[in-house]
Amino acid sequence: MTATLELQGVSMSFGGLKAVDNLSFAVNENEIVSIIGPNGSGKTTTFNVISGLYEPDSGEILLKGESVAGLRPDQVHDKGISRTFQSLRLFSNMSVLENVLVGMHAVTDAGVLSSMLRLPSVRREEKAMREKAQEILGMFPGRFSGPRQQQPAYSLSYANRRRLEIARALASDPTLLMLDEPVAGMNPMESREVMEQIKVLRDRGHTILMIEHDMHVVEGVSDRVIAMDHGVKIAEGSYHDVANDPQVVEAYLGKRAAEATA
Amino acid sequence: MSLDHIVTVTVGGLTVGMIYALIALGYTMVYGVLKFINFAHGEVFTIGGYTAAFTLLALGVNDAMSPIVMAGCILLALLAAVIAPMTVGFLIERIAYRPLRGRSRIIPLLSAIGVSIVMQQLIILVFGPTPVSMPALALGSASFSLGGIRIRVLAVVIIVVSALLMIGLTYLVRSTRIGKAMRATSQDMEAAEMMGIDTNKTIAFTFIVGSALAGIGGLLVVMYYGSLKYDAGFLYGLKAFTSAVLGGIGNIPGAVVGALVLGMTETYGVSLDLGFLAWFVLAGLVLGLYIQMVRVPGRRLQHIAEDRRTPEYEKSVKNVYRLAPYFAVKTLLAERTDALLSVSAEHAVRLMCGNAFLAASAAAMFVFGDVRIDTRWQPVIAFVVLMVILMFRPSGILGEAITEKV
Repeated sequence: MTATLELQGVSMSFGGLKAVDNLSFAVNENEIVSIIGPNGSGKTTTFNVISGLYEPDSGEILLKGESVAGLRPDQVHDKGISRTFQSLRLFSNMSVLENVLVGMHAVTDAGVLSSMLRLPSVRREEKAMREKAQEILGMFPGRFSGPRQQQPAYSLSYANRRRLEIARALASDPTLLMLDEPVAGMNPMESREVMEQIKVLRDRGHTILMIEHDMHVVEGVSDRVIAMDHGVKIAEGSYHDVANDPQVVEAYLGKRAAEATA
Repeated sequence: MSLDHIVTVTVGGLTVGMIYALIALGYTMVYGVLKFINFAHGEVFTIGGYTAAFTLLALGVNDAMSPIVMAGCILLALLAAVIAPMTVGFLIERIAYRPLRGRSRIIPLLSAIGVSIVMQQLIILVFGPTPVSMPALALGSASFSLGGIRIRVLAVVIIVVSALLMIGLTYLVRSTRIGKAMRATSQDMEAAEMMGIDTNKTIAFTFIVGSALAGIGGLLVVMYYGSLKYDAGFLYGLKAFTSAVLGGIGNIPGAVVGALVLGMTETYGVSLDLGFLAWFVLAGLVLGLYIQMVRVPGRRLQHIAEDRRTPEYEKSVKNVYRLAPYFAVKTLLAERTDALLSVSAEHAVRLMCGNAFLAASAAAMFVFGDVRIDTRWQPVIAFVVLMVILMFRPSGILGEAITEKV
């Protein structure tokens, strides 16, 4: 079986800095893989390379066996990779519902003329999309109900904005969902809720690649964990294997601490 | 000053304002998406007018034609006045702006000025340096009477057509799929890309729509005034740009409001005598005094912490604004005074100077009551309006739509 996502020897440098160095890993279907690592270890750069924001200097990125390296971000998205952002990037002047509808842009095809004329096909599509958007927003019970869907995204609370980003990313039914620190800045109750939500997503058949600093969440949802430091993969395996890996402890706490625990 | 004169001037102001609005929408839409001013947009407008006029000349339109044939010809001219600017707008973006995207903001701006100059020369090369003239049609000068007031048919056409186009544009941007893509692109281009929006296509589309609107503006202008010069786009573009800034750059309804304000002030400014205009200045003075004495002190007081809001303190803040010259100077000179009061005092003096200026102008205008402002002063009036509004409200009348409200 081909993996949903496979990175083969991907490298990416900015000037002299190797942000990602010869990185290889795979995410299988219906699996949740977390990437951990200290700040500046190349996690978000990895996400940006996968989403097409940067073209890798070398290496191959395969989605279901098909290369997506070097495609534009919108083309990568069309192939089935959708993501959220570490620093929230909602369309804050657009309504909650519109944000989700923008997420569906790639899977709809109403043309300019037919939209202006409101042809029946456009109306049908619009209705279907709205229903689907309702359904996606409904996955966060009580968070986006009723009139709140018409409010601009900037009026939402921080946690709800994070939830809305996930909803927007889900709108296109992605083959691979990438979550960049989904619980950053949330309180423990809220993170637990998001954690449950992520499990629900797996039960629904989604494949997820996630960056997360919150180790409770990483432990709670990950099938596999990848640890990165200075752009290099230093460990991979189950949460407990990775968390106890001396190299990982060293990356987080320094050499002496690593020796002390060893 | 008779009523029919006022109606005539108002219709004239609306007509000019609507034309400015059609062009201003292109400036504001492009700014919304790319955050830069497409200075070549005025030339796109000229091209619209030229292609329309040349199409009509080529078709040999004349009054002997049957109305249906003539309508067909005008429709063809409209088509030409949409397609040619659209093509040009698309090419400008593709050739002059897209390769420079992502550079510092001054670079595409310089490119835009360059394109504007090139386009003007191209118009001369293709169409010649003499102004293009419309075939003389009865329609051009046709008018009807409304309660004894003569109104040109074309003025009504311009107002109605522009209004319809604006409604259409609003619908396009608000409710359609491409409109959502445009708004998403204008708020966060990178995020839009990663949500599957082809931003290159969206930006090209923005240019095409803006250019089509400017092209229709060109057609309407050439029909209304009968002729168009190769450099007409410069002044029209500048005024439309002013309108866009006036209403709040990047804000689509703002562009329309700004254009109407500008069109009205220009027309009123040069058609009425000073004695009549003085009443407008007086109205401005009343507004200015209201701002100085009621609105500003009210707002200031909201910022004061509850425990400091003693009646005496409130009174002294209000006095600074109401009796500015005496109390403001006294407050400024006082040795121990708190920050809010001294800032308020300076502020009050500035507001008072503005109001004194308005009062003096009104008085002077009453004295020279029967003098009229020469039409050549029109751009000056536009400029003064721009300065005054932006001094009091830098983000424009309706504010910039893009501002993040986080």
